[in-house]
Amino acid sequence: MKESNVYVQDLSRGIIKENPVFRLLLGMCPVLGVTAFLINGLGMGLAATAVLIASNVVVASLKNFIPAQVRIPIFIVIIATFVTIIEMVLQAFQPALYDALGVFVPLIVVNCMILGRAEAFASKKPILRSLLDGIGVGIGFTLALGILSLVREVFGQGTILGPEPESSIHLFGEAFEPMGLFAQPPGAFIALGLLLAINNIIFKKYNL
Amino acid sequence: MAKAKFAGGIHPEYMKESTSSLDIVQMPPPQKVVIPMQQHIGAPCELVTEVKKIEKGAEVKVGQKIGDHEGFVSSPIHSSVSGTVTDIGLYNHPMGTKVTAVTIESDGRDEWDENIKPQGDLNDLSAEEIRKIAREAGIVGLGGATFPAHVKLSPPSDKPIDVVIINGAECEPYLTADHRVMLEKSEEIVYGLKAMIKALGAEKGIIGVEDNKPDALQSMEELVSEEENITVCPLNTKYPQGAEKMLIYAATGRKVPPGALPLEVGVVNHNVGTSVALSEAIREGKPLIERVLTVTGAAVNKPSNLKVRIGTLASDVIDFSGGLNESLHKLIMGGPMMGLAQPGADVPIIKGTSGILALTADDAYLIESSPCIRCSKCVSACPVQLLPTSIAQASEHGDYKRAEKLYALDCFECGCCSYVCPSKIPLVQWIRIGKAEIMNRKRK
Amino acid sequence: MIKIYEKLIVSSSPHIRSNESVQSIMLDVLIALFPAALMAVLLFGYRALITMVLAVGTAMIVEALWLRKRDVFSDGSAAVTGLLLAMTLPAAAPWWLTVVGSASAIIIGKQVFGGIGYNIFNPALVGRAILVVSWGGHMAGDIWPSPQPFAFGADVSAVTGATVLSVPEKAVMLSLPEMFIGNMAGCLGETSGLALLIGGIWLVYKGHIDLRIPVGFIGTIFLLGLVLGGGFYGNHLMTGLFHVLAGGVMLGAIYMATDLVTTPVTPNGRLIFGIGCGLITMAVRFWGTYPEGVTYAILIMNAFTPIIDNFTIPQRFGEVNESA
Repeated sequence: MKESNVYVQDLSRGIIKENPVFRLLLGMCPVLGVTAFLINGLGMGLAATAVLIASNVVVASLKNFIPAQVRIPIFIVIIATFVTIIEMVLQAFQPALYDALGVFVPLIVVNCMILGRAEAFASKKPILRSLLDGIGVGIGFTLALGILSLVREVFGQGTILGPEPESSIHLFGEAFEPMGLFAQPPGAFIALGLLLAINNIIFKKYNL
Repeated sequence: MAKAKFAGGIHPEYMKESTSSLDIVQMPPPQKVVIPMQQHIGAPCELVTEVKKIEKGAEVKVGQKIGDHEGFVSSPIHSSVSGTVTDIGLYNHPMGTKVTAVTIESDGRDEWDENIKPQGDLNDLSAEEIRKIAREAGIVGLGGATFPAHVKLSPPSDKPIDVVIINGAECEPYLTADHRVMLEKSEEIVYGLKAMIKALGAEKGIIGVEDNKPDALQSMEELVSEEENITVCPLNTKYPQGAEKMLIYAATGRKVPPGALPLEVGVVNHNVGTSVALSEAIREGKPLIERVLTVTGAAVNKPSNLKVRIGTLASDVIDFSGGLNESLHKLIMGGPMMGLAQPGADVPIIKGTSGILALTADDAYLIESSPCIRCSKCVSACPVQLLPTSIAQASEHGDYKRAEKLYALDCFECGCCSYVCPSKIPLVQWIRIGKAEIMNRKRK
Repeated sequence: MIKIYEKLIVSSSPHIRSNESVQSIMLDVLIALFPAALMAVLLFGYRALITMVLAVGTAMIVEALWLRKRDVFSDGSAAVTGLLLAMTLPAAAPWWLTVVGSASAIIIGKQVFGGIGYNIFNPALVGRAILVVSWGGHMAGDIWPSPQPFAFGADVSAVTGATVLSVPEKAVMLSLPEMFIGNMAGCLGETSGLALLIGGIWLVYKGHIDLRIPVGFIGTIFLLGLVLGGGFYGNHLMTGLFHVLAGGVMLGAIYMATDLVTTPVTPNGRLIFGIGCGLITMAVRFWGTYPEGVTYAILIMNAFTPIIDNFTIPQRFGEVNESA
């Protein structure tokens, strides 16, 4: 295998083939919790991506200094550091989004997708590959959250780019009565289940 | 006596009208009989030396013993015609397998073995002698289970038997052979019952008859009115009323525990045909070489009740009852609920064959089953109160541990669940697979 | 002669089968629902008829599309689901509410689990629950039209109000016989206990439902109403009866809680199921935020069905209870 192919694979694996949400069902907590609106979903996805990339790079560069017995606490400390940074950045520059995401931002610390990549990939691979892997998985996560929150917002609110009145666009006119189910937590489960089913159909059809 | 009712069961269309009023016709001895060496539950018979030595070409007479086994749970087999042994080898068996069988070409003379003679008066016979007669005559349960009769007549000494029940329920649809036997051979039935009571040292005998056969009930009742320890018990008409445990419950109110034999509750039961056979074995010395069966079904040209020599090929029996018409779709040995479908008519009548049933396309078709809708009609129909749908599902998924936990082994395959299933799931078939697999694993 | 034997069928016993099929059972259920449907049209006029036709039609078409089958009626289970859903809708339901409810009942309630026989929850109630969660404004509150008996052409949605359950103490203006016949506000099919009872007797006669579920359900409601109902209506007995006749208890107990697929198969399990439904319903009525709890009671008990089945394996014939 050519060297460049490895990098392409590292980047693309997390987007489709090993999409953390649709294929591995990792990090379900924010997936279900903050996807009522597209903006929230994307914001969450990007925040998690940033933490993931940073933690992957740091873990990969420190891998020779981390004793195997205490690696998990050390990973957690690294991840928590970046989560705190992201949290402060959000609070400073995107207060509305910060409020909307609420407790789910600090919860990124225990997101098993990020810990999983640190444990399964970054702690064994070189820095560049870990960086590409973090980017790929992050894109996959953001993509999945985007799709799910788009479905939920369109059906559950009848808008996109809500909930701020200035940015939100009503798709079906004011008379449309949105299907409140999708705006609520049970709807998140149902929507995710249906998306997983569609995803499986597609994967089966194209033999991915 | 009050009629006790067991829970569950079904009411299929009985379809007995076409043969229930026809007298039993003696079918003449056929040109050729094929006598399988396994016609009973227990060890298969080995050829007796006489036949074995000469092999092909041996001359045999009617009633001559041709097969036996020294094991206790086994029953000897006799020639049913006089003539020459022409072949010894594997032959079709109604169970769907091939077993060793003796083919005998009849010489047409129908000469009886000279050893066959009356065994004396019942009053002079001891219990042990009666058991010996039953064994030597090769008598097995004629209801279909073919359990050797002498074994049932020899209970262990710590299990006293106080009731003998004669099974005249004949709950299988279509079949009328037992019904006719009760009308035409009622005296022999009572005689055989007395012999059984004596052999077991029992206190009383009960003859259980389903109440859809009022004429049989009446004729039996008239006959036993003089006897002080024999009663006739009318039974509800409900399938499977003739099943051992259901019959015992209906006649005595006793419930046989799961996995136990009837002698556990002090009861032994025998089919009416078995009783007649025992009576003939004592009074005439005649071994079990013929039986009464019903040839019926819409594809039979001339439905009838026949007395047929054991080993007669089904095709000969069918020819004797006018042959079949083109609408035949399924040929069954036994009744429609528990009988065995046959791939052809080249199969001998054995001791346990209670009927030949030829169904047309109206009744016989392959049904596509749909998913279980959990209507639980099978649960209500099960006479043993099992959960047929759950057992079948466990068996279908290969979860035999669960099937066993759901008491799959208590199923006696009466077929009620499959009969009522609106989704047409072959429940009994799945349960059978489960049972076989559970037994296999136990043996390991 | 040989030729005859060529096409013999060899299969496992038994060789005869009853005439009953899934389709015949579903047809019987539809017949059983006819009195209630007729009553709905008599009370709520043409709006009721439209809702029922829409729900049944949508259910059958969606199922046929999903299964890619031409046979729209098929085993009839979709039609039953559609009609049962219609029975739980208000007469003033807009057309799209009925269509969405019916389609989600079939898809989310039934087909995603694998179709008939595999669904965990009662499909019609899943449809209703989705509608209640999504469009509460159309499904609860003061939206229930008062019945206008024998006025087929009247648009009943003009005058609406709350059901008797929202303010039970004020319900005394309705006499119990009136409630039994169905002259009160409510869902299409739930108002007339009489019509539901007639259908229920037909189902019991045909052996399609087990009396244990409705008896356990209604019995629990009656007893709890009697003890905890507060004794309005003059006396406690009448209060118990009120709780049975008000709301969806009769409809739920006879048609929904007895749904074959989603209820236990064991006799004792069915009794437990019925009693559980009754308990949850009354808990919601007395202490919940919704005035009525039949829908959620049955859905919650549906989830318990496998475990109930597992713990109520019946005793075999002749089995003696050994106290070990």
